[in-house]
Amino acid sequence: MTTRLIVASLTIAASVVFAEVEISPPESATQAEGLDAWSRIFDVASHPRCANCHTGPSDRPMWSGPTYGTTRPHGMNIQAGDSRMGVEYLQCSTCHTTKDTDWDNANLMPHAAPRVAMGWALAPVEADWFGKTSDEICAQLRDPDLNGGRDMLEIAEHLNHDLILHWAWNPGGGREPAPYSLQEHVDDILIWGVAGMPCPES
Amino acid sequence: MRLTVNGTEHEVDVTSDMPLLWVLRDELNITGPKYGCGIAQCGACTVHVDGFAVRSCQLAVGDLAGGHVTTIEGLASPEGLHAVQEAWIEHQVAQCGYCQSGQIMQAASFLETNPEPTDEDIDAAMSANLCRCGTYPRIRAAVHAAAKKLQEA
Ligand code: FES
Ligand code: FES
Repeated sequence: MTTRLIVASLTIAASVVFAEVEISPPESATQAEGLDAWSRIFDVASHPRCANCHTGPSDRPMWSGPTYGTTRPHGMNIQAGDSRMGVEYLQCSTCHTTKDTDWDNANLMPHAAPRVAMGWALAPVEADWFGKTSDEICAQLRDPDLNGGRDMLEIAEHLNHDLILHWAWNPGGGREPAPYSLQEHVDDILIWGVAGMPCPES
Repeated sequence: MRLTVNGTEHEVDVTSDMPLLWVLRDELNITGPKYGCGIAQCGACTVHVDGFAVRSCQLAVGDLAGGHVTTIEGLASPEGLHAVQEAWIEHQVAQCGYCQSGQIMQAASFLETNPEPTDEDIDAAMSANLCRCGTYPRIRAAVHAAAKKLQEA
């Protein structure tokens, strides 16, 4: 297959105003506190609002969770391709349009395609979390080769600036939000990071 | 609010959260794009924004951000029909026709990014455009034919 990737118009619209989270790591955190924080991080990472788009080489987003009936791949034969944005087939942004204005009211309609103020996409293939265990995801998230080369502060910053992640706590349309709050999740990442990124024993 | 559709600039007096499909059909009387579901489930409302397929029921007109809209009415050029339209006629794809402007706009956008698609590629690109008449085999054949025409052009 010859594929001409036309990505210019898929670049992220970064002009939107959204609630910033505070990034202030604790001065110290014990291993036990770190593991405790990790268990909450796992609650978030494994929640359908996050895990459904953290799929691996199959390039298929998933539909799972309380409002989706049985767990299954995204309907309509959706495949995100190597681009992870569907450029080779059907772009995610065809239906998950970019919503720059009136963001609070972006996702009121049940069953409509969720949208945020940036291009919709799957997570990178190395961030394959769907259906994985706590220790597996933990090992991936602390490995710079698998987490985009990020240290804990950069993971926290990433959470702050990726609007699809913000959406997970404000999904609308009757969908269940990710647990805790974005701020609590960022705080947990920082506690876990300061504690040395401990992972549960498998 | 100003927007450009099929090369013509229009001034419309609407709220910014009105879906583009409503603006096209009810304000500008451009009725090629069809309403099927209003929630990105059918593809009947597909148009192009700057050449890329978009479900016009899902895009608030205020979020167009200066993007140029093309509907089925504007797909052909003064020189003739678009290759996808020609292939659609040659393969007599349409049955009732309701889904077809969306199908054609989706196919035209898809062939820009994937000019030599396999059957599987076509199924991946076109499966979110529903056809209650079940014209899918002819859609697939016509997309292959259009790809060939575009290669030869
Ligand atoms: S009317 Fe827009 S996808 Fe159905
Ligand atoms: S031709 Fe009738 S819905 Fe497709």
